[in-house]
Amino acid sequence: MMTKVIEVKDVWKAYDTLEVLKGISFDVFEGEVKVVFGPSGSGKSTLLRVINMLTPPDKGEVLLRGQSLMDPQADLTKLRAHIGFVFQNFNLFAHLKAIDNVSIGPHLVLGKTKEEAHDIAFKALEKVRMNDWGHHYPAQLSGGQQQRIGIARSLAMNPDVILFDEPTSALDPELIGEVLQVMLDIAKEGTTMIVVTHELGFARAVADEMIFMDHGVIVETGTPQHFFQNPKSERAIDFLHKLEVLYGQAETDIES
Amino acid sequence: MRPTSPNQLIGMLQINRIVEYLPDLWNGLSMTMGLYLFALFLGLGLGIVLAIGRHYGGPIVSRISTAYIEFMRGTPLLAQILAITTLPLALNLDTSWRIILQDIFGTPRITVDITILLCAITLGLNSGAYQAEYFRGSMASISGGQTLAAKSIGMTKRQEIRHIALPQSLRRAIPAWSNEAVYLPKYTTVAYFVGVPDLFSAAKLAAGRTFQSLTVYSLVAVIFLVLITAISWILSRIYNRVKIPGI
Amino acid sequence: MQEAIGLLDILLLIMIRGLSTTLALTLISLLFGFLIGTGLALMRVYGPIELQWVSIGYEKIFRGIPLLVLLFIFGAALLGLFTWAGSLTNAVFVAAVFALALRSAAYQSELFRGSIMSIDPGQMMAAQSVGMNQYQATWHIILPQALRLSLPGWTNEYAVVIKDSSLASAIGVAELIYQAQAFTLDYPALFLGIILVIAIIYFAFTYPVTKYVGESMTTKLRELGLGGGK
Repeated sequence: MMTKVIEVKDVWKAYDTLEVLKGISFDVFEGEVKVVFGPSGSGKSTLLRVINMLTPPDKGEVLLRGQSLMDPQADLTKLRAHIGFVFQNFNLFAHLKAIDNVSIGPHLVLGKTKEEAHDIAFKALEKVRMNDWGHHYPAQLSGGQQQRIGIARSLAMNPDVILFDEPTSALDPELIGEVLQVMLDIAKEGTTMIVVTHELGFARAVADEMIFMDHGVIVETGTPQHFFQNPKSERAIDFLHKLEVLYGQAETDIES
Repeated sequence: MRPTSPNQLIGMLQINRIVEYLPDLWNGLSMTMGLYLFALFLGLGLGIVLAIGRHYGGPIVSRISTAYIEFMRGTPLLAQILAITTLPLALNLDTSWRIILQDIFGTPRITVDITILLCAITLGLNSGAYQAEYFRGSMASISGGQTLAAKSIGMTKRQEIRHIALPQSLRRAIPAWSNEAVYLPKYTTVAYFVGVPDLFSAAKLAAGRTFQSLTVYSLVAVIFLVLITAISWILSRIYNRVKIPGI
Repeated sequence: MQEAIGLLDILLLIMIRGLSTTLALTLISLLFGFLIGTGLALMRVYGPIELQWVSIGYEKIFRGIPLLVLLFIFGAALLGLFTWAGSLTNAVFVAAVFALALRSAAYQSELFRGSIMSIDPGQMMAAQSVGMNQYQATWHIILPQALRLSLPGWTNEYAVVIKDSSLASAIGVAELIYQAQAFTLDYPALFLGIILVIAIIYFAFTYPVTKYVGESMTTKLRELGLGGGK
């Protein structure tokens, strides 16, 4: 009964001689929240881009509901519409109002009428608590608000999975909470998510599995309890300690 | 080669003789505006196509667009107009086609003939190369992140260019593009060299016949100053209307 | 065969006679345009309000009038002013320099002013913090940087002036296009070929300059931490 949404099979990626991903494999099941963390340069962001083929891998395979994204026959553009992506720098379309940023995908890609797309967008904005801000341009919104629009833009496509690439690391500290809260909400609604983040409080609250990456390989995986109580590998212990020093205790004060 | 004599100075003040040439000047101004608008919009279409070709085209399309742009920008407009308007003669083509219409004073005038048409087209071909560079600059300034975002929600390349890149880059290009819109009326005077009866040609004729060249040329200078100020004003109004915060 | 040789001979003549005039006209106009333009830019940035208005008015007027009109104002209406040049040939050349230089000055002024304005205000503060007065800071810190920043723009202005110098043929300056037209009367069939070759000559004198000199300057300036930072 547990369906695999994403299968990552032995993925390799190098930029020139620099090996960024060295044989990564894992599965993501329906409704699961995976948190990927690790030091900078460990290949986390590249991994996310490989999953929706913004960066095609050199070797290995990525499957979406059993269908390979590497298949030359596959319509990559269509398949991508099933994989949401939330960017570190939001990347909102600067010339479109918030609501149009969200409705353009359903309208253009899913072929909904303007009215249908508008309704879908409005519901997505409600989910991220931005329904009062639909008629503002990105430049008129705070970073936290922009990121919530970015999340709504993904939600509106009703994707099979949403990938989050360090969604809070470009935000001022006081704006992080509102974005994490939205992410918690949609996680609890059963959205399948792969989240690259160092927000351990978020991980503790909703992660089904945490993946610790370093130097292009998966070093250790486990539940949040596992990582917070007795991580095994030297590198994970070391890194978690550094995070604690930087961000304070893992038990941050997010409502869970 | 004589210094200006007192008689000539008095002559400068007698504008009554110039009045006789006002209909010519008016028709010249209409011709100038016709050349300008034709060339501006031909250049706009061509410029957008060339910019897309240079920025998004494959290696071949991009090279062809680049070569065209660089050659047109690297050679004098005058040489281009002389070359293209000589073409029918060189190819022994019939050049008798013309449209003669009455002007607002009731006198029949040649409104369009082969030379005028070729001249207008050349102005457009030239302007297109300059306009392309303004558009390309603004296309290059759109963040790569938005391209990724468009891809990530499943847009095709064509949809991304049409719905994300163009609406932003065209808006962004307006202030720089206004430069071209303001340069172009001045460069239409090059039509004088091939005998097109534009504002400058009319002025030259009036100057030669009235011996009041300074007055006539100053009048033309003022007309251009007013024209260009008006164009800048209109364009800044348009820009303010379509402007979007953050772009 | 006869014609081909004829064309080559003609081109050689045009080159020898016309090219030197074109280049002289361009370079002299650019030089005077630079001197006047720099003065106008300094007036506009550092001058009292009256001089700023003079500078603004000058820019508006000379950027608004077509070059051809300026050429006929100096080269026909006011040609009497240039009788001191001696011959008619010299007089129209000087008139053309006036038209080109005065117009170029307006554009160069704008270019140089833009460079001055783009210098980080921190430079002025830093200069004053080591004890320079405002004049010293401007002369030794701001202007040298602004001049360097203007270099890519000047290659552009050079290209504009050399191409537009072709319009001076209308008042009888014997530059490239004028020479070509002189031969048209005798050899109408060759005119298209001649014009194309002349276009290529212009291209050879503009494209390498704007492309390589302009680009390498921009890169170098960027390496030095000047200009754009993009």
